[in-house]
Amino acid sequence: MSLPSTRTVPDGVDFVEVSGGIEAYRLTSNQLQVLLLEQSAVPVATLMVTYRVGSRNESVGLTGATHFLEHLMFKGTARYNKEDGTSIFNALQRVGAQVNATTWLDRTNYYEMLPKEHLPLAVEIEADRMRGARLAVHDLESERTVILNEFDRGANEPTRNLYHAVWSAAFVAHPYHHPTIGWRCDIEDATAEGLRHFYDTYYWPNNATVSVIGDIDREAVLQLIVERFGAIPPSPHPIPEMRTREPDQRGERRVTVRQAGQLGSVMVAYKSPVAADPDTDALDVLATLLTTGKGSRFFRRLTDQGLTTGSFSGVSRLRDPGLFYLFGMLAPERTHEEVEAAMLDELHRIQEEGVTEAEVARAQKLLAAEEAFGRDGPYAVASQLNEAIAAGDWTLYTTFLERIDRVTAADVQRVAQAYLIEDRRTVGWYVPS
Amino acid sequence: MSTPVSLADRTETYRIGSGRVLLTPTPVEHIVSWKLSFRTLPAFAEGEELVQELVVHLLDKGTRKRDRFAVAEVLENRGARLDFSNDGLHVRVTGRALRDDVPDVLAMLAEQLREPLFDAQEFDKARAQLAARFHRSMDSTSSQAASALSQRLYQPAHPNFTPSPAEHLAQLQTITLEQVQAYHAAHFGGADLLVAAVGDADASAFVGALERSLGDWPAGSTQGPFETQGAPQAPARVAVPMPDKTNLDVRLGQALRVRRQDEDYLPLFLANYILGGNFSARLMAIIRDEMGLTYGIRSSLNGITTDHEGDWRVSVTLSQDNLERGIEATQAEVRRFITEGATADELDDKKTTALGSFTVGMATTRGLAAMLLRNAERGFEVSYLDAYPDLIEGVTLDQLNEAVQRHADPDTFHLTLAGQLPTPTPAEAQP
Repeated sequence: MSLPSTRTVPDGVDFVEVSGGIEAYRLTSNQLQVLLLEQSAVPVATLMVTYRVGSRNESVGLTGATHFLEHLMFKGTARYNKEDGTSIFNALQRVGAQVNATTWLDRTNYYEMLPKEHLPLAVEIEADRMRGARLAVHDLESERTVILNEFDRGANEPTRNLYHAVWSAAFVAHPYHHPTIGWRCDIEDATAEGLRHFYDTYYWPNNATVSVIGDIDREAVLQLIVERFGAIPPSPHPIPEMRTREPDQRGERRVTVRQAGQLGSVMVAYKSPVAADPDTDALDVLATLLTTGKGSRFFRRLTDQGLTTGSFSGVSRLRDPGLFYLFGMLAPERTHEEVEAAMLDELHRIQEEGVTEAEVARAQKLLAAEEAFGRDGPYAVASQLNEAIAAGDWTLYTTFLERIDRVTAADVQRVAQAYLIEDRRTVGWYVPS
Repeated sequence: MSTPVSLADRTETYRIGSGRVLLTPTPVEHIVSWKLSFRTLPAFAEGEELVQELVVHLLDKGTRKRDRFAVAEVLENRGARLDFSNDGLHVRVTGRALRDDVPDVLAMLAEQLREPLFDAQEFDKARAQLAARFHRSMDSTSSQAASALSQRLYQPAHPNFTPSPAEHLAQLQTITLEQVQAYHAAHFGGADLLVAAVGDADASAFVGALERSLGDWPAGSTQGPFETQGAPQAPARVAVPMPDKTNLDVRLGQALRVRRQDEDYLPLFLANYILGGNFSARLMAIIRDEMGLTYGIRSSLNGITTDHEGDWRVSVTLSQDNLERGIEATQAEVRRFITEGATADELDDKKTTALGSFTVGMATTRGLAAMLLRNAERGFEVSYLDAYPDLIEGVTLDQLNEAVQRHADPDTFHLTLAGQLPTPTPAEAQP
């Protein structure tokens, strides 16, 4: 679809496409991708910069580098820093911005949600730290203990430990093997030189997307982005590709996590396709009809029968093949064996008997409502768009509903038969000790 | 600062029975979010809040007209959600639906509130589910530290008092289905019923559906007594040892003699922002950024309403190696803030922060509905939200520092911590 004829595009910007109301552009100087969506319900805007680098890009000994770098990016630049009383948090939060960043398998994102008149400040800061981060040694040392505390907080949680244990068992070659926060010893050993190298490798405009959503004047925002980001050169080298592919799994894997606690849990996971594969849409519908709401299969079979206190499931929508996973939280005095058996039996029934059209319609309606409410406010849109950008195609967000609507009951049974098989399965138990 | 069009001008108020509906259309497509609440006033000292929790748990487990699966079908086939929650003095419902489904969903909501099935089997399941939740909260350092602090600051009759998970479990076993039914009959009703709806709502359809289904809902007749002030206990340090938890959750807190409508509230609100309200506040800047002692530290005004007083608390997570150093550094910063006060620059900064956050908080239909409901529960008119920026701007540095001096004392903070302690400390009390 083309841009309305009434719209003018500033010099230095190329219009690329529009989908679902979101307009895509590129800066001609450095290939920075720009996505804009106007939402004028309240005078607020969200700016988000997504870098296409995550823990997927880390190698042995450098795990956690992406996340460590994300922390150091808040230590500032020559222009915005604590010593001058202009720290990034201070500068942005004093105008009421909600500011933060997150790191995940395929991406790192930085965002500000703020009153619209302060958008230029957020754009200036994000452009400044794209290539101007200080990454000082003394900042690294004080932040290391902060991250180690974050690691310890996570390690307190048995369910989180189970999740990581299953991913680590399921992936032996691919970097999805290691948790995004990294192994503790790698956090302890991270160096300023190593992080600087990581920054200089991946933090470039041609490896990033700037999204602006909210009560905005699109032409003015584009002009602002050209002014602030346009002078940053593209990377002097190609952005390295991560080429490791996970070998085929040839049999079920099992893992047990023992940790002090009260009630156990079971995680069952299967290798699943990439985000853009149509089978992932069918797996999404399958996950929804299995565990969303009291009409779901697992609620009726597990929670309503007193086997679990709750269950949830999902399919990872990632750049590389990931996992379709199911969790069952054990009710008191129930065993892992009986919960796992019930979960597997329900999956077996779907493989043998299929699902009803009514179940699929219900799942589609639930997903449609999620999508509608997922557009409630600029940050909600930005966070979903972020995952689509990370998976390699931002229009995965705007085309989500039409793809989900194409899924049939036969598709759901077919993907259950194709993917939910023993050889692709990894089972994890959290056993309270 | 952007000034949105007056909320009072955009919000229509309707009467249904003895309740009120506040409806604010916003330019979003298809979706409507709402928050509903009514006062229930359980007798906290007699454990009625747990009975109320069980009632709330059973609201989506069937009505006299349809079983739990039929209820779920009405909602899930429309992609709608109704979440019931117990918040002490109130029961609240968070709802959302696509515009055309709103009347059907509101009718379902009323049926769930007024005619719950209270099936014996479902009661047993609800009790087991709650027991499992308490078991799981025994594994949470955050829950354990917060519960221990609440027991230092409040008596059991105060709405902010939280029994330990073990006490909750013991109490749960004594509750009968008959008690649950009787509590529902006595406490659930249209007293102080408030609804705030935001989004693509058709006013006549929304209000009409509520009028038909809840317009004649009689008020609950029983009101339990509750304490309005904190407990005057000497400050103490309480540890909850938890194996395998190498990150410890620490809480420092003291009761405050302030309610939401008092003149000192907004100065204290801004003071809290300066001490530990966000990433750029003193505690984060010093304990995390400079000293690297923690991933998370913040302060908050907690549980202060127009009905009762609450507390000022600091929450910090510390790894075993940094536990005592982190506690000492945090206590020193709290002491410095209370004794030396804030600066004019800090106050100016945080006024802008507070007003920006206020605007950003209205960015979603759900956020705006929550803001409108909270404001109405306090007994404030919608115009209070329009006046709020001027009220914040009007707070002076003297007012702020004097309010801190009047209400806070660095020597009366209690300290609770939960997790695996670095070394045995037999002198520490066990809750």
